[in-house]
Amino acid sequence: MRLLIPVIALVLALAAVVSLDRPLPPADFVLIDRSDVYTLDPQRMSYQHELRRARVIYEPLVNLRASDCEIIPGVAERWELSPDGLTYTFHLRADAKWSNGDPVTSEDFRYSWRRAILPDSAADYSGLFFSIKGAKAFFEARNAMIKEFAAKHAKNPSAAEAEALWKRTVELFDSTVGLHAPDARTLVVTLDAPLAYFLDLCAFPCFSPVHPATVEAFVSIDSATGRAIQRHDWTKPGRIVVNGAYVPTVWRYKRDMRLEQNPHYWNKDAIVAKTIECRTVENPNTGVLSFQSGAADWLTDLGPEYKTEMLAERRAYLARFKAELDAGLARGGRVDDIVATLPPPGDGERRDARGFNAFGTDFFSFNCRAALPGDRFNPFNDARVRRAFALAVDKQALIDRVTRLNERVASTLVPPGTIDGYPVVEGLGYDPERARAELKAAGWEDRDGDGIVENAAGVKFPTVDILYSTSSPRYQNLALAMRDMWKRELRVAAECRGKDSKLYKEDLKKGNFMIARGGWYGDYGDPTTWLDLQQSQNGNNDRGYSNPEFDQRLAAASGEVDPALRLRKLAEVERWLFTEEVPMLPICNYVTVYMYDPVRTGGMTDHPRLEQDLSILGPRRGDAPPAKEPAP
Amino acid sequence: MNARPVSIVALIVRRLVQLPFIVLAVYTLTFILAWSVPGNPLENPEGRRPPAEIVEAMKKQYKLDDPVAFYFDYLEKASGIGYLRGTTDRVFDLGPSLKQPDWSVNEILATGLPVSITLGLSAMVMALMLGLFAGLVGGLRPGSIADLATQLVSVIGISLPSFVIGSALLMLFAVKFGLFPVGGWGGFAYIVLPALTLSLPFAAYISRLIRFGMIEEMGSDYIRTARAKGLTRARVALQHALKNAFLPVLSYLGPATAVALTGSFVVEKVFAVPGVGQHFVDGVLGKDITLVMGVVLVYSTLMVVFNLVVDVMYRFVDPRIA
Repeated sequence: MRLLIPVIALVLALAAVVSLDRPLPPADFVLIDRSDVYTLDPQRMSYQHELRRARVIYEPLVNLRASDCEIIPGVAERWELSPDGLTYTFHLRADAKWSNGDPVTSEDFRYSWRRAILPDSAADYSGLFFSIKGAKAFFEARNAMIKEFAAKHAKNPSAAEAEALWKRTVELFDSTVGLHAPDARTLVVTLDAPLAYFLDLCAFPCFSPVHPATVEAFVSIDSATGRAIQRHDWTKPGRIVVNGAYVPTVWRYKRDMRLEQNPHYWNKDAIVAKTIECRTVENPNTGVLSFQSGAADWLTDLGPEYKTEMLAERRAYLARFKAELDAGLARGGRVDDIVATLPPPGDGERRDARGFNAFGTDFFSFNCRAALPGDRFNPFNDARVRRAFALAVDKQALIDRVTRLNERVASTLVPPGTIDGYPVVEGLGYDPERARAELKAAGWEDRDGDGIVENAAGVKFPTVDILYSTSSPRYQNLALAMRDMWKRELRVAAECRGKDSKLYKEDLKKGNFMIARGGWYGDYGDPTTWLDLQQSQNGNNDRGYSNPEFDQRLAAASGEVDPALRLRKLAEVERWLFTEEVPMLPICNYVTVYMYDPVRTGGMTDHPRLEQDLSILGPRRGDAPPAKEPAP
Repeated sequence: MNARPVSIVALIVRRLVQLPFIVLAVYTLTFILAWSVPGNPLENPEGRRPPAEIVEAMKKQYKLDDPVAFYFDYLEKASGIGYLRGTTDRVFDLGPSLKQPDWSVNEILATGLPVSITLGLSAMVMALMLGLFAGLVGGLRPGSIADLATQLVSVIGISLPSFVIGSALLMLFAVKFGLFPVGGWGGFAYIVLPALTLSLPFAAYISRLIRFGMIEEMGSDYIRTARAKGLTRARVALQHALKNAFLPVLSYLGPATAVALTGSFVVEKVFAVPGVGQHFVDGVLGKDITLVMGVVLVYSTLMVVFNLVVDVMYRFVDPRIA
């Protein structure tokens, strides 16, 4: 009998831990994300799936309507812009409430925006607030104050001094930053200069309010560095107070998050799913199988192994019903609504996977610095060489043979059709003839017939160092294919260097590459979210591209007051950048592949900015899909 | 075996005195390794970059600019000394996760550890049942078809990596037959497949131990005597032979359970089980030093305690060992 004791102990221990875990009732809508959100603090977010969740947990002054990316009222029911274009006055609705019943006030916004601007918060997006009068100066002043304080008090911390410094900081903010709350329901924002897309910024989740009393309970002033240190314990269910459509009621680390309708939300009648379950499944294979077993309504990111095949099956399905689809589209119907009325897919067909052009562009960066680390010669400092390398790449071949998602070829950064009124800008196309001419003009040609180009002094073109991250086979395959194109068309030696994503990032920052993989997703609906990337001082300018002419041209175009003219001027800057300067080599616009069944799930937008609104996703209700009509 | 018998109390005391030194050694080694991983945990791999001054200030705040200060500060807070000195308000403060600012390592372990323990213990229970059955089948009729079959299965169980077995089980029982959910966690149905996958190598090993033990015991003198007394073969096998054949399994069970609890990250990944193993691997890859150190501290402590528990049980079951 004694032998049984360890076995019984094992079983009892097991029973005890199992009983600790309670399953949740099924949710109205279940989605699977590839990774858990890093934070629920809207001022610190920067990942797409976090921002998507923030859009329904918090509500900023204005909202972005998912279907067409128009600005619609949020906490502010109306607003006015002064004739000089500098002052916005927002009027907050009376029924905007926090999830604990408190009214949402203009002070809440001041508090939250101050938080975002303060360098102490380490918000990735503080820069988005710098168009507000005095915000940038305040950021820099506070930075200097902390630096000075830390130098003085690192060894002899002083809580009183740190508190005093904090008081001075708050006073500085109140007196210099153009953010005022004349009463609880009015917020007055003054800008440095007119900003055409300021409302679009206001709809960005980082501009959402947080509940000051809840957040402030976890802020402490560090007596050694003078910084306001934020602990994020307030984001946990039970403690978190939000003003959006949903309240997080369960959040289990890298497992799931449950959102439940916020009973105090003013617009709760517009919400489709009462409860949303967001699961984290990191393994892409398990994610797909899980969706296919019916455990989820939406798989937000289909694994690369499946994309090509599943999209081909979708094309086969749509090809069979091409007539119905075309007729429906001609009547102004939406693809999902039409597909939902079609007969189910047969063998080798599917309708539950769909690729969308995303608000993102895949590119390779040229290192534009004067020299490589270690003072090595950098041929890509010469714009002619960059143009030659850009012209020698057959992007359509890359898409057909390497990426195979039928992406749209890109020759510039801003994805076409994403920003109202912004024209389609064409950069350099595929022209190997001209590529060789450009290289020759830069002094590189094959003088001794050995198959490698040399300069006039007989020095060979240095071996092109192509850097990519090994996080996905996509980049390795692209790098290899381009290496061969360059070898073939330009007669240069080239080598691919794959690195783990951390090491890749280090090399990128140090400028230790000639050509490196890159990519960018736009944040707001203005070309500057893309073009700013090339500014000399931009923190994400991995290329080291620094051209005063560009900085000045961009500033001039961006500062134009007339909105239509402004976009045309910005387009001209982009055209010049991608036909003359070419600091990067755009390949294509990203395609995001979702899995969801349009028969079961409605509300998915296909607007090219691809901002899904979780509060309108869910079972198709009342709105029956348009009746099927015979094709004319 | 020691020449001088040691009482159970002395054993426990001695092990508990050793505990902090073992954990400290593990902590130090892990710290050196974790620190030498390149990269900055405060930086988003794909996200926007904060200004350089902010990066510096954040590094200072988390003591990432000074390994010596980090080493001692973390040790102080994690060991409970910090709590006694009033520098932290948690008794064992394992720090904030550097990658996931909303979570402390304590919270991550609190959500992940019960999951990993459930998975590990379920796997051990399954391994015991499967191993015992297979071992008995083989051990009682060595050379029979049934014996060959169970041996073949156990070789497969030992040699196939768990991501292969896991994916195969997933395809078969979850996708094809729809008997179990594909991945995730939340109730008995979610435990079966990952626990089965995790249990197979252990079951295979246990079955070989039992089989070998049974063959040996069944041929020994005391079994012949028992049989001569007129006891049935089944009774002799289960009551007498198994008791002795099981002893090596018991000593294997301790380290095996520890391995099942800590080494389940592949299974966790395949079945999307939110256990500590997965978090630990992510922590290592992302250079989330506080998370790595916290998990290692807790696991090494668990490991030592586990081995102690097994040793105590062992003496209880087999008093000859002292």
